[in-house]
Amino acid sequence: MALPRSFKRALWVFHIATGSCNGCDIEIVAALTPRYDVERFGIMLTGTPRHADVLLVTGPVTRPMLPRLKRVYDQTPDPKAVVVVGGCGCTGGVFYESYNIVGPVDEVIPVDVYVPGCPARPEAIIDGVVKAVTKLETLEKAGVV
Amino acid sequence: MGGINSGFGAWNPIAWTLLFLGILIVGFAVRSRGRKDYKRGTDQAQPFLSGNPEPEAAETLHVRGENLYWGMVHGLSAYYKRVRAWHTGILSDYVAWFIGALGLVFIILIWIG
Repeated sequence: MALPRSFKRALWVFHIATGSCNGCDIEIVAALTPRYDVERFGIMLTGTPRHADVLLVTGPVTRPMLPRLKRVYDQTPDPKAVVVVGGCGCTGGVFYESYNIVGPVDEVIPVDVYVPGCPARPEAIIDGVVKAVTKLETLEKAGVV
Repeated sequence: MGGINSGFGAWNPIAWTLLFLGILIVGFAVRSRGRKDYKRGTDQAQPFLSGNPEPEAAETLHVRGENLYWGMVHGLSAYYKRVRAWHTGILSDYVAWFIGALGLVFIILIWIG
């Protein structure tokens, strides 16, 4: 499956918080502000995973969010990239092995890029998204996607 | 051709039909440029409801007319309670009400006339 034309023109990103403290979510919003302005690269947050190319996942995946995260992943059209933002999503963070946590994220859905940090800085988030795109483009050149 | 011109404006059904056809063509043209790689029969073709599953029962999604004027129904609950009891859903009951009302009107007309 080749990358769609829209993928090469502009990258639409869907953000899902799976129980984060909102620190990483605020940093994602910061990446959209004029200081970082990711929209100049064509990276835009979209309101539905059905229009998204990349999933930005924050939080350690609480038990109630488990089916929702799986459904959002399934609803994202292929090919897609998953970027985990923040220490909680990458490893469970301070919630590691908590009774109400089923994460980290890679226990639930396949993850392409990990962006650690508590919270992750906007530069790191942008770098993570770019790495995810690079990975997909590399796979496309290799004829995998 | 079939048009009407008056002081209030102009109306031409052919012009409007052509306009709607043009809108339809533009709509289909835009739609045809959309992504076609959605996998049918999977969650990719389901509506996004904040990650929640689509409710199976239509009642949970449907906004009834009663949701808009429930205050009036509540205010006139004594009236509605009685009137609803009359709405049995049986056709013969409605016909009996119709004949009764018709007879009453007939008697009133005779009485006045």
